[in-house]
Amino acid sequence: MTGARRRLLPVAVAAAVVVALGLAPGVLSPFLVQFAINLFMLAVLAESWNIIGGFTGYASFGNVAFLGVGAYTTGILLTKAALPLAVALPAGGLAAALLAGLVGLPILRLKGHYFAIATLGVAETMREVVYNVEITGAGTGLVMPIARSPLLFFYLMLGILVAVTAVNWWLAGSRFGYGLIAIREDEDAAVAMGIPTARYKTAAFALSALFAGLTGGVFAYWITFIDPDAVFKVLVTIQMIIMAVFGGAGTIVGPLLGALVLASVSELLSTQVVTLAELFYGVIVILVVLFMPKGLVDVIQRRAFSVRAMATALREYRI
Amino acid sequence: MALLEARGVTKRFGGLAAVSDVSFDLREGEILGLIGPNGSGKTTLVNVVTGALPASAGDVSFAGRSLRGVPAWEIGRRGVSRTFQVVKPFRNLTVVDNVMVGALFGAGGTRDVAGARRQAEEILDFVGLAHRAAAPAEGLNVPERKRMELARALAMRPRVLMLDEVMAGLNPTEIDAAVALIKRVRERGVSLIVIEHVMKAIRSVSDRILVLYHGEKLTEGEPAAVLNDTQVIAAYLGRRYAESVHA
Repeated sequence: MTGARRRLLPVAVAAAVVVALGLAPGVLSPFLVQFAINLFMLAVLAESWNIIGGFTGYASFGNVAFLGVGAYTTGILLTKAALPLAVALPAGGLAAALLAGLVGLPILRLKGHYFAIATLGVAETMREVVYNVEITGAGTGLVMPIARSPLLFFYLMLGILVAVTAVNWWLAGSRFGYGLIAIREDEDAAVAMGIPTARYKTAAFALSALFAGLTGGVFAYWITFIDPDAVFKVLVTIQMIIMAVFGGAGTIVGPLLGALVLASVSELLSTQVVTLAELFYGVIVILVVLFMPKGLVDVIQRRAFSVRAMATALREYRI
Repeated sequence: MALLEARGVTKRFGGLAAVSDVSFDLREGEILGLIGPNGSGKTTLVNVVTGALPASAGDVSFAGRSLRGVPAWEIGRRGVSRTFQVVKPFRNLTVVDNVMVGALFGAGGTRDVAGARRQAEEILDFVGLAHRAAAPAEGLNVPERKRMELARALAMRPRVLMLDEVMAGLNPTEIDAAVALIKRVRERGVSLIVIEHVMKAIRSVSDRILVLYHGEKLTEGEPAAVLNDTQVIAAYLGRRYAESVHA
């Protein structure tokens, strides 16, 4: 296969998938449309986390803060300022990106678990702030105007998903993306090789936050009611990380695959074995991390499905 | 005017002066050997010159401009590049991708990713690592890793290149190859500072040698003179050995 074709084939496949998804609501049941909206949202969150956590190697445990800030910014602009969605939604994304830029400058100087704890702190702080100011409705929450049709949310979430996936695809082959990957692999070497690391990390963090914020805005409008506990839940950050890592952090398709598989498993479990759903989910996550530490994409690419390959992975990544 | 000028460079860590009042020049097209026993401050000096560590006192200027307060990445882009004593490969990238990062971000860095790949391939060919271009960096052996480190630095199109023990861990045949390679790097118009413990190599590759001892400049000059200097021999092998040689 020639180089141009190798680059074009995935694009063609992706375009076909997007068209098929775009036509899907015509044949899907209302339940499946709701499931798809939820799935798209989780996939966006996993892909957006992938920009900072996967490509740049800074495992953020606070990305839910950006979802929450996006949700509240969009929500407040819709309800209190009565602005149209076309204004409120981008504003939510920009507010989240701005927050990431501001907190990123100091906390991106931290590495490893120090960075993780700092981001966790940012999310918890944002929740407390929202609890304690008037304009957000404080603890009682914020009620959105009623939307006309679930299709709006379906297409909005799909659109954001296409955009964030395109950004990940661009990162994998661009100068900016190479800079981020170099930072992940060895930050000292990256600096010596001429990469302005502070600027790059902050930009990656803001880009990651932009998409989380956009999703937050759609999410708020979709579920019609938000309160601090719903949109600043630590568990949501954990989900982003698990989905991205499960599928393959730092790859383009990995977080999509992770979201698809885990959201489906979670949905099936919760309808089939209600009480044990969370337990099963936990067991699956543990097994995956143990036996496929580089994610599904890596296993598929290397066709390493055998028990022996998994045992090797277990040995190699044991700490 | 020298290409790189260090004047009174000092680096203190708390009360310890790792580098103390060191001045030297690197002339255009020159290879300057930098030697000294373990802990004499060679790597610290490289870290200060490349901006990885801020100097406590003194100044370094490159091509007539002071590097004081210039961030390390910017120094890299202006044309001062380095290798690391403990190699720092981008492990999960292929060899050619490693080298591409240098071409993308170094002096005359380019946004053209395909162009950077071609440059990287050309440089891998130059250092004799073309056959490993597609291999993951973590699969390289020690001499290959050192070569990749050199290739990455060269891809930045530096005017000054500081090599921090690129020959450590190599066997005599590999050292001869490395010496020849360093001389060919100079022919590309790069001025070099070479840190090395292998005396045979440093003697044959250097135009001048600078000796550090306890962070201070002990002496500087022609290789033959410096390596026969009683003080230098004493610093490396102890005073009694030096006396027996010169007795």
